[in-house]
Amino acid sequence: MTKLTAESRRHLRTQAIKSFLRRFLGHNGAWLGLLALAFFLVLAAMPGALVGPLQTAITATGDFLIPPSTQHLLGTDEIGRDVLNLIVHGARTSLTIALVSTVISLIVGITVGMTSGYYGGRIDAWLMRTTDFFFVIPSFVLALVITPVVLEVIGRGGDILGFRPSLFVIILVIGSTSWAFVARIVRSQTLSLRERQFVERARVVGTNDLNIMVHHLLPLLVPQVAANGALVVANAIYTETALSFLGLGDPLQPSWGTLLSLAERAGAASSGAWWYFGAPGLCVLIVSLGFVLVGNALDDTFNPRRRAIP
Amino acid sequence: MPDAPDILRLENLQVHFPGRGGVLDHILGRPSAAVRAVDGVDLAVRRGEIVAIVGESGSGKSTLGRVITKLIQPTGGRLLFDGDDVTSMKGFSALRPYRHRVQMIFQDAYQALNPRHTVFDIVAEPLRSLRLVTDHTQLTQRVRQSHAAAGLNPPEEFFARFPHELSGGQRQRVVIAGALAVAPDLIVADEPVSMLDVSIRAQILQVLMDLRQQRNMALLFITHDLPVAWLIADRIAVMYLGRVVETGTADDITFRPRHPYTVALRNATPHVRGHSDREKLPALKGEIPSAARIPNGCRFHPRCPLAFARCREDAPPTIEVGPEHTTACWLMK
Repeated sequence: MTKLTAESRRHLRTQAIKSFLRRFLGHNGAWLGLLALAFFLVLAAMPGALVGPLQTAITATGDFLIPPSTQHLLGTDEIGRDVLNLIVHGARTSLTIALVSTVISLIVGITVGMTSGYYGGRIDAWLMRTTDFFFVIPSFVLALVITPVVLEVIGRGGDILGFRPSLFVIILVIGSTSWAFVARIVRSQTLSLRERQFVERARVVGTNDLNIMVHHLLPLLVPQVAANGALVVANAIYTETALSFLGLGDPLQPSWGTLLSLAERAGAASSGAWWYFGAPGLCVLIVSLGFVLVGNALDDTFNPRRRAIP
Repeated sequence: MPDAPDILRLENLQVHFPGRGGVLDHILGRPSAAVRAVDGVDLAVRRGEIVAIVGESGSGKSTLGRVITKLIQPTGGRLLFDGDDVTSMKGFSALRPYRHRVQMIFQDAYQALNPRHTVFDIVAEPLRSLRLVTDHTQLTQRVRQSHAAAGLNPPEEFFARFPHELSGGQRQRVVIAGALAVAPDLIVADEPVSMLDVSIRAQILQVLMDLRQQRNMALLFITHDLPVAWLIADRIAVMYLGRVVETGTADDITFRPRHPYTVALRNATPHVRGHSDREKLPALKGEIPSAARIPNGCRFHPRCPLAFARCREDAPPTIEVGPEHTTACWLMK
């Protein structure tokens, strides 16, 4: 009997997943987005196997600033490094920063938003004022303040939790400035969910607040969070690029933003080296567009009646 | 039954919500009137007894149910359960023993069930949350028993289903099974059949009456439907604007009502034709006033066809008019 139950439950779950996929993949945007993301995830997963180790000024293989050719598909930079090599290695850095900081911002945002919406009253007021504070902090200024402090304490060498210090700072800064957006969305959803009668029933049958939040509210928040999470990633990539462009990136682990910054300093735009700034710029555009497309498709799939404008 | 000890006792119980005045009130510094949803209710429910609370929308009967199940705190009076004062009891762990003994059935069974949970998880939730059983075999056993008692047969058929796959009657049975799982002494049922088809109604009422027979469980049945109350209850309490205006046996209230409001309620029901000397009372006019502006004197006087001078000045006391029959009306003095 129990086996039968488990089986039919599994059957129901596969059915639900199938119908979800059918609707999700019905959007052309979802296809485009997923393809773009899959492509860049492959690049990020094995840069060494695809283009060899990251080139430096010493191991540079080409001449200075040569346009794309069969030998260097995307040309070279001002010290002779292959731009394709840099881009592929940059994909790993950029995507790691974007995804890890999104995870941070989702965890913090969901926790704060749900607590705030569920308890209401004074807790809500305090948490939301804190959220407002993080909402309006300009990430650049925060990064400019935090980076030197962290680097002073840790030193440029070594790593924190597997990240080089400056990458870690960027992840922290993006994570701590983008959770406020998630918290607001989660709070507004929680406010309406907690009035639902099954929450009342859960209280009558003796379920404590934590379990109500985890078992009753969280599963119903997933669609909203998933759709908006994709937009948070896109935003994180933009922020990361902008921060690196301002020179906060790590030259030893270049991201696309760092490459753009180097290109700008080398005068790539004025000297006509369009491949040098075009390649990383296009990558940023495609990846963030991919996430936005996936996010919109998710949003459409989960609630076709409400269209969120990113 | 009349000798059984009280399981639940309400003494002058009050629930007042702080009022929200308008902008003008705010500017002028006028205090906004509190909404007196429950305003001094005295009521007792004996062990194994079915008591129905009847009243219009806005009479405070649902609020009364919510305060008894501790979803909201009373602001005054006393709430005694099995002799213990539970008025100010709150917090998850303090309420655990109380939750074990008092459960609730909701009006809208669809809203009361989480759409993402299976029937098994829904019925097992109280057992898990109150940590009444720990091993899985025992849990399945208890859940199966509750299913059977609520008339979900065969139980295994329903375990893996989701609420949206069930009919309205089955959903209400799931809610009942969940309430039964902990074997409570008292169930508060807030309009449990008002959303159901008439044909399903009788079945659900039968389930509830059977449970009383088998488990000696008390039931506080909240409804706006006098015939349903008469059918299921031993005693009926009629509520008007936050206060009980008449209590008595189901037959007394239905066929020999003394309070003009009860008479009006009875006359508004086409099916029940009793014998009463006040058969000719005109129908009730107007609507129940806001609980934020309760009239002075007898709170029913603006709508009462028999009101006289004294009704406008003093609130009537509760007067005994027969065995187990009380009413709050100056006409009985």
